[in-house]
Amino acid sequence: MSDAQAQLLVMFIKAAAIYGGLLGCAALMTLAERKFSAWMQYRIGPNRVGPWGLLQPLADGVKFIFKEEVTPDGASPWIFRLAPLMAAVPAMLTVAVVPIGGEFQLFGVTTQLSITNLDIGALYVLAIGGLGVYGVILGGWASNSKYSLLGGLRASAQMISYELALILGILSIVAISGSLDLLQIVEGQKGTFLGFLPDWNLFKQPLAFVLFVVATFAETNRHPFDFAECEPELVGGFHTEYSSMKFALFFLGEYCAMIVMACLTVTLFLGGHAVPYWADAPWWIEAGAFSAKAGFFLFLFIWVRWTLPRFRFDQLMHLGWKVFLPLSLFNLFVTGAVISL
Amino acid sequence: MVIVKRKILSLWERLYLPEVLRGLSITFRKMFEPRVTRQYPEEGLPTDGVTRGQPRLVVKDDGNIACVSCGLCEAACPAYAITIDGQETDRFIEREPERFDIDMLRCILCGFCEEACPKDAIYMSNELELADYTREALAYDMEKLKRPASAMRERMDYVKKINDRW
Repeated sequence: MSDAQAQLLVMFIKAAAIYGGLLGCAALMTLAERKFSAWMQYRIGPNRVGPWGLLQPLADGVKFIFKEEVTPDGASPWIFRLAPLMAAVPAMLTVAVVPIGGEFQLFGVTTQLSITNLDIGALYVLAIGGLGVYGVILGGWASNSKYSLLGGLRASAQMISYELALILGILSIVAISGSLDLLQIVEGQKGTFLGFLPDWNLFKQPLAFVLFVVATFAETNRHPFDFAECEPELVGGFHTEYSSMKFALFFLGEYCAMIVMACLTVTLFLGGHAVPYWADAPWWIEAGAFSAKAGFFLFLFIWVRWTLPRFRFDQLMHLGWKVFLPLSLFNLFVTGAVISL
Repeated sequence: MVIVKRKILSLWERLYLPEVLRGLSITFRKMFEPRVTRQYPEEGLPTDGVTRGQPRLVVKDDGNIACVSCGLCEAACPAYAITIDGQETDRFIEREPERFDIDMLRCILCGFCEEACPKDAIYMSNELELADYTREALAYDMEKLKRPASAMRERMDYVKKINDRW
């Protein structure tokens, strides 16, 4: 096997493993969501399909495939079909640049445990992640339904508002690590801070961390900011008219977006795959550390959803524009001032 | 007119995040508390003497049915669910049912038959589940309705206790 062939093979294996992992995680998240919500409400949760209900996502998938596909009268046919893909694909694309583990050897090729490593990784994540809103708003518009349209409009207004806080949060991190390369950002978080804490950006940028985490909730349309769905007022929001596998794709997109946002939070603020106090950990330990950290944030998504009530839409906008934007600008300003001094 | 005073929040509460964390800590603690779910088909419903389930005929300890086919329950039944044909018997009581049918689809589980019975022969058991594939299968005959007195003891004692009040 020549060197080029080996590199190609390694590339394919990495892509297959990471995408398989992402989709598997998204499927398991649907189960985890139901399990954790059940436990918080003194219930048991799904336990009929497989041990501990582990095959429930599979059963749900089969059910979705066999459901009738309904296209509402007057729906724009092509956009209606395209929208679920546009919601799901960008979320899956962003995971490509997230560094999950350190360097390792496979077929004599030294490689990094991430599909690719762009020098503008942070920018790529924002650019592709921002496309997700198109799926939601087009899905809402193409359904020819007032609920869907309102849900789509709300989702777009909300995503645009909170993307500002998200971007400014990332900018503060970029400012202190001096690179848009996610791997460089992770490398900059190895070692210790103040002698005893791991050198995570979380401790250097606590305000940015809080703003970023809250903004991720808004970006992924999760509680308490799930105005895109909003069952009480909008039936199901943008996916009211969707059924069968198209509906499932929206959900897949939502869960993939959650996973990517959790990965991104970990990469930017919690030292990514860096293991605290163990600088030269083997790659699989680093991958494990990364998964544990990301898992915590995924749990946080579920945990918050089953704890907090939904905001009102004006409260959401107030929070986004009058609180988050000034605070993140202030944070960026202070960060810049400290760095230049 | 009721005037609801809006609570003035302190700065700590208006910050929202501390209160969010408080809420999160509550839901986290709840995750480890005992579950209240009853896994129904595997775990049965709780029953006791007060449970007024489906009517059943008492078979006395000597193996004979307690019913003397007097027809009082048939008359008391508001849903006309009970059909009785009597016959003679060599036993001391001289009469016993030849046929005792209760159409369980008609039965409304009111318990009037239990109240009407002068011989403590019909009682509302603790059997609550009623499902089958055909209507015919739910028209119970005497064989399906017979239960040993020991199985009905709890309900019999309870009814006796209630009746003793008067």
